[in-house]
Amino acid sequence: MPITSVAETVLTFLVEGFFKAIELLISGDISTWSAVSATLNASTGSMLVSLLTGLPCGFVLGYFDFRFKRPIRTILDTLLALPTVCVGLIVYAFISSKGPLGDMGLLFTLTGIAIGQTILAFPVVTAITAAIIENIDPALKLTLVSLGAGKKDIILTCLWEVRFGILAAAVTAYGRVLTEVGISMIVGGNIKYHTRTMTTAIALETNKGLFADGIALGIVLMAIAFTVNLSLSFLRKK
Amino acid sequence: MASPVPLYTLCRLCHYYGGKKVVDIDEFNIPSGSITGLSGPNGSGKTTFLKLLAFAIAPSQGEIRFNGRREYPMSARVRSRVTLMTQAPYLLKRSVLENVVYGLKIRKDTKKLKQRAERALAAVGLDFDGFHNRAWHQLSGGEAQRVALAARLILEPQALLLDEPVASVDAESARLILKASLAARDKWGCTLIIVSHDLAWLNACSDTRLSMEKGRIFSTHEEIILPPPYQTVQTGSTVNWILPLSNGRQVCLPDKTGETALIPADKINIAREVETQFNGKNRIPVLVTRMALEPKTGRIEVDLNADAFGLTLLLSKEQAGALNLQPGKKRILVFRTRDVFWR
Amino acid sequence: MKSGKSLSVLIAVLMVLSFAFTVQAGEKGELMMATTTSTDNTGLLDYLIPFFEQETGIALKWTATGTGKALKLGQNCDVDVLLVHAPPAEKAYIAAGFGKDRREVMYNDFVIIGPKSDPAGLKGKNISQALSAIKASKAFFMSRGDDSGTNKKEKLLWKNAGIALPDKEQWYVQTGQGMLATIHIAQERNGYTMTDRATYIKYQEQQGGDAPLTVLVEGDDILLNQYSVLTLNPENCPDAKYDLALKFSDWMASESAQNKIGEFRLLGKKLFIPNAK
Repeated sequence: MPITSVAETVLTFLVEGFFKAIELLISGDISTWSAVSATLNASTGSMLVSLLTGLPCGFVLGYFDFRFKRPIRTILDTLLALPTVCVGLIVYAFISSKGPLGDMGLLFTLTGIAIGQTILAFPVVTAITAAIIENIDPALKLTLVSLGAGKKDIILTCLWEVRFGILAAAVTAYGRVLTEVGISMIVGGNIKYHTRTMTTAIALETNKGLFADGIALGIVLMAIAFTVNLSLSFLRKK
Repeated sequence: MASPVPLYTLCRLCHYYGGKKVVDIDEFNIPSGSITGLSGPNGSGKTTFLKLLAFAIAPSQGEIRFNGRREYPMSARVRSRVTLMTQAPYLLKRSVLENVVYGLKIRKDTKKLKQRAERALAAVGLDFDGFHNRAWHQLSGGEAQRVALAARLILEPQALLLDEPVASVDAESARLILKASLAARDKWGCTLIIVSHDLAWLNACSDTRLSMEKGRIFSTHEEIILPPPYQTVQTGSTVNWILPLSNGRQVCLPDKTGETALIPADKINIAREVETQFNGKNRIPVLVTRMALEPKTGRIEVDLNADAFGLTLLLSKEQAGALNLQPGKKRILVFRTRDVFWR
Repeated sequence: MKSGKSLSVLIAVLMVLSFAFTVQAGEKGELMMATTTSTDNTGLLDYLIPFFEQETGIALKWTATGTGKALKLGQNCDVDVLLVHAPPAEKAYIAAGFGKDRREVMYNDFVIIGPKSDPAGLKGKNISQALSAIKASKAFFMSRGDDSGTNKKEKLLWKNAGIALPDKEQWYVQTGQGMLATIHIAQERNGYTMTDRATYIKYQEQQGGDAPLTVLVEGDDILLNQYSVLTLNPENCPDAKYDLALKFSDWMASESAQNKIGEFRLLGKKLFIPNAK
């Protein structure tokens, strides 16, 4: 095949995808919007839980000194590299009908996906928060003690003081959660209108060879991420 | 002097940092309502000492009594009664007003917050309307340090510990910081403990002048430090300790029974080159570098430079006059080896 | 920044509200099915199942995976019913006690497709001859390589032709992906592959009717591709909705469903031929 036509075929689906994305967004195509809703649902739930659990754990890990601190930090950092498919398989093993939590009926549901995504996001939040807390200016604690802060005040004020770093942790975790496919696929089952998320939809279209559709959905996903980050950017320092 | 309970009593206080002893104080009192000035070379343990007094860290050994009672970090009796201000201005990431009232808010003392904040800021020379809304990153170094001071003064602490309060600020801020600190002492008897390299100012306002060397405290004007390095010299079968000076001269020291050699100020004589008296007396040539009036006691501070080290003596006006001391003049310090002691 | 803060609040509210919109279907009258990618990717189920829901009032959700995984899901009782196309594996499944009833509902056939230029010269040969020709010419052959129903069939064909599975051969490309993806890879590399006819027609439709790969080998009896509905053995899966699964099985064999299956066409061609008895 001559070079020009190879370039043509490869790039065309990128351009096609771009226009399709606009079309999908404007037309209110229901399968797209149900996938958007599923993604927002699962990712918001998992982010909330992982922040509520990860922030205090990260604080404890960064602030205090205790015997197993180093090995725990190392294990946590390793968990940052957990492949999403593996997390999906682990969650499946638990919530499968024959698994220990089989009775809860979580397989093929968005809640099941959210659980898996929480497992994915938790190490990210915890590890980054611990790193932030460890690097807190020692003058902060000194200042707080000087102004009469007790243990509880110190913890809460420290967390507030590092809020910008924590925001970065949340955004990083959110990125990981928003773009994962493995958990959504294995735990959710990619069921149309129910557990088909943006990422599993992209995987499906790509697998069917409909690359332009894959790109289109990818652009829609990026638009969601952009909107969320835009709103968060106003919380930044300046 | 009447003996109310000293604000601080230190007993066999030792603190180690990474295996090294950084504070080593046998027994010491700090009277309530006094102003203590602390100077010393870098690494002598001054900042650690302040942190111990602020109950920010617990000592490795020994005890610190506050108002007569042994206290520990995070103790409720100590919280917001002792406050420390760091050398580099440090503010919380919030507005000036929020910074100033933070301490009051956490001890739930929130009546008339705005007025009290206004007064605290005025005490450090900051106009409320212009400053209270500014964010922490919109202040100059001097302004930030002043806000930090206001945040502490508003708590009316019993002890105010200042670590190099004027080192990182402009001259105007320095003046205002000192003014506000002294006013605190006048208003509610706040005890000030100030670490500074600015010796002139420290001397001018302190009741007690201390020097810190290798974690130990010395009374600055009463005990003159003959600093290391020390050497040993073998003469026959005896080993003698000396402090070498330039030009091959040396100071003979008694047997080493401590880390630092000291001589009481009143055991030093200042003589002119002409007079020669040997026999067990050390002679150190010095240059008078600075003389200043110490307003507190009316005595004259004389800074002398001995090449290897410097020292400051406090003389009465008459003594200074009799010795015809002037900056730039050369003199000899004379003292006996047996008056030197180790600590 | 006031406007920024309200935007943040708005986004937060929207995200929380989105929870309300994905209503999980109720437990009553709901069936979970595992099926294969060939039934799903062709669009048959999207077309057919709404009729089932209309006519029986039972909601059917399905997940499309490879046959191997579908059987595993049934074994683990994560689904209630299976729609697969691997008759030997299905029979073994029932013998092993995982499946209960097997009902054949539709079929099509497998074909070998390849480039129009046909470098290995497959046209006109029967399946065993064709596979020998591929091996001899070392032409690229794309295999699903994922133990799916299609893949099981393909392995059977090699065995039948007396050729050991060319697992480590350089020209034997195991994609590990779905049928459409594998066809696309074959198109990229100008290779051959074995596919079910329905997926091939779907592929043709995607290419706008004129596809670079064309059918070269077809018609052998062994190339029959039989789809069946499998219910799960209640002894293995007491919680699986056996009665609803039976209803689905019955419905698939009903005249209504069988007609609809026959009516499902792309490019005017039938993808599946109904054959319930």
